[in-house]
Amino acid sequence: MVEKRWLRWIGPGVVALGAVGFIASTTNGAGARPWTPGACAGPPSARIEAAREVVPPGLADLRTTPWFRLDPVLDAEGASSGRRLAVGLDGDQTARITDLSAESFAAGPFGRVVLVGSDDGTTSDLRAIDIAAGCSWSIGRERAVIRRATMDPTGTEIYEMRVDRVSRADLGIWLRPTDGRAEAHRVLAPIAADGRFGRTYSTEFTWDLAGDRLAIQSCGEAACRIRVIFPGGGPAVTLDAPDLGLLIGLDGDRVVTYVACRGFPCPIVSTNMESGQRRVLAESAGPAVVVGTDDGIRLVHEYGTPTGRALRSVPLDGGTPSDLGPLPDGLDLHAGPARADAATRIPAGWILLAPDGRMPADRSSRRPHLRHIPDGVTVPFDEAAR
Amino acid sequence: MTTLAGPQHATRWARTTRWLCIGVGAVAALTIALGGASAHGPDPTLSGGPFGQNQDLRFRWRSGSEPTATIKTAIKAAAADVNTSRGSKAATFTYDASGSNPIGYGIGATCGVNGLACFSRTVPTGFTMWLREQGHVFDWGTLKWCQAYTTPPSGCYDAQTIALDEFGHIEVLNHHDNYDNDADYEDAVVQTFSRTKPTAGWNMHAFGRCDVATLQRQYDMQSWTAKYSTCLDLTTVLTLTASPTVVALGGTTTLTATLTVADYDSYVRLGGNPVSGRVVTLQRRAPSTTTWANVGTMPVGASAGTYVLLQRLTADAEYRAVFASPTTEGLDGDISPTVRVYVGGCLGAAALDIAIAIPCY
Repeated sequence: MVEKRWLRWIGPGVVALGAVGFIASTTNGAGARPWTPGACAGPPSARIEAAREVVPPGLADLRTTPWFRLDPVLDAEGASSGRRLAVGLDGDQTARITDLSAESFAAGPFGRVVLVGSDDGTTSDLRAIDIAAGCSWSIGRERAVIRRATMDPTGTEIYEMRVDRVSRADLGIWLRPTDGRAEAHRVLAPIAADGRFGRTYSTEFTWDLAGDRLAIQSCGEAACRIRVIFPGGGPAVTLDAPDLGLLIGLDGDRVVTYVACRGFPCPIVSTNMESGQRRVLAESAGPAVVVGTDDGIRLVHEYGTPTGRALRSVPLDGGTPSDLGPLPDGLDLHAGPARADAATRIPAGWILLAPDGRMPADRSSRRPHLRHIPDGVTVPFDEAAR
Repeated sequence: MTTLAGPQHATRWARTTRWLCIGVGAVAALTIALGGASAHGPDPTLSGGPFGQNQDLRFRWRSGSEPTATIKTAIKAAAADVNTSRGSKAATFTYDASGSNPIGYGIGATCGVNGLACFSRTVPTGFTMWLREQGHVFDWGTLKWCQAYTTPPSGCYDAQTIALDEFGHIEVLNHHDNYDNDADYEDAVVQTFSRTKPTAGWNMHAFGRCDVATLQRQYDMQSWTAKYSTCLDLTTVLTLTASPTVVALGGTTTLTATLTVADYDSYVRLGGNPVSGRVVTLQRRAPSTTTWANVGTMPVGASAGTYVLLQRLTADAEYRAVFASPTTEGLDGDISPTVRVYVGGCLGAAALDIAIAIPCY
């Protein structure tokens, strides 16, 4: 039972990747088409069920796995005029494009569902899109700005981070049912101002590998604070060390983060939230993910070699690292959504390699590849998803 | 609630601890990154080490993610700022349409959720850099690049300063560790927190002295006469030799002082450097006395770091060389050991290699 839960959440919580081989040729090419999803029919229970589907157990299941990607849209002056959301299924040959406001986000996938938030300057609209069914439903509309949202492991609850529309003050974390049966209520207070971190640039949600805990990360310009709560709210455990940066993954009491770097390479550490003990997992790492494997939970990260870049796998308990071979030319490890603004789910034990660590921009780009841990077997993604 | 301690707040400057905190190499850099550095020293370093000395890193605009014209201008200006203010043999940056190092803007940026810009560095082959797009929305509000306005509004970020910060990271610099009150903010461009117009430091267009200090340690000086950053506090070693040490009455000896930076591992590339073109003073006293008198400034010698002055002697004398701590650079003064020169008698005759009628005993 435990293993099944882990299996289900290993995708969105750990892999959280978004590179799909054919996406490049669809987002910018002939396969992309504008899309406004219609309203989902059926009872609320069906919507919740859409968010409960398990992560693809095998490569062949990738064809029905959703993905999304967000890109800024720039006007003639080079300023942001909005964001473009591309969604699809890995087995599709067509990406569906939706233009969002400049203040917007996407999260997931949760089962077949991607959460999308978009703010028009007066109201924030939060919707769930069932990618497979090609429809959506409204989660809620708020006068406050909904900056981020996530769905709980059961598919029944939505967590939102909100800011005040005028002052941009943090309004805390709010919880509402997916089926709209009740109003949202606040489950976590705004994070306190702290000069060691500066003003908050972004707040991100990350579920732990078992889906039992939710990390809420508030990042300043370089350093981040993490508050971990249990589903439904409750007391938060806070990690507020100003030398820590972006969260890579959460496994029980252990959080895996970069230190507060602004670029790569950057050290990666594992911190026990209860004891405060730290372990250096990588002294000089590039993009990284936390992945479930048959050999336990591992950090996989890029690192530099005298001849280029390669991949290394490190057990979170500090065991012996293992090399996964060099990166193919033109491909990078696809990191989590907080870094890539894109995500999909892939089977446990695999990592995804893509141009620039996200979806390729055009047909001429290299095709993404999947690489297996720990043997390093590599397969083209689109062949695997065929 | 468990709140974990981060790095200790900066301790006040103390010379000993300061140098203990100067890390070298990846392990030391990691220590600094995880444990914090003492305040107001040279910038910490990133892992991966520096590029080659004076390596010319050529950048181009990333296809599909080209910066706007004004941002391109700002980035090129920042590259020029590096080249003119590095004060060392740090790598230089040059725009080249066929360069191998892409700089992007907005679309496709993989900076993660925080920050105005980001980079990657792969020593010794190259780097990447991204700047967020104008209008990117963060929790705190909307990013404004000053370059996007004819009259930049308060609250905008100067893209030239931010790009210079990123170039500094690419070189090897980590964020400067400021005093608690940030009084030393303008000692470094490479900062954890970027400032907006009109806060002091929002538009710095040259590396600060503590940026330069680390660049000097990691890349070495451009010449032996170049000034060391005042953010450094380098021990120097001054020696003095006389040749010959015994002269006849009225004879001359050549006094040669040699000034170098102490050869400490923590000084990285600066250890043992000859220090040329400084003011080194020769002092003299009679043996068995305590008062030194200035003889004069020693002219620069033929060899790097040397200073030479000839002396004609009519009596035994003791000499020493003095290098006073300069106020304009980060070198500590030093005084050489004393050298004694003998005059006359048998020793003097022997020194002159002349025939002696009376045996010397």
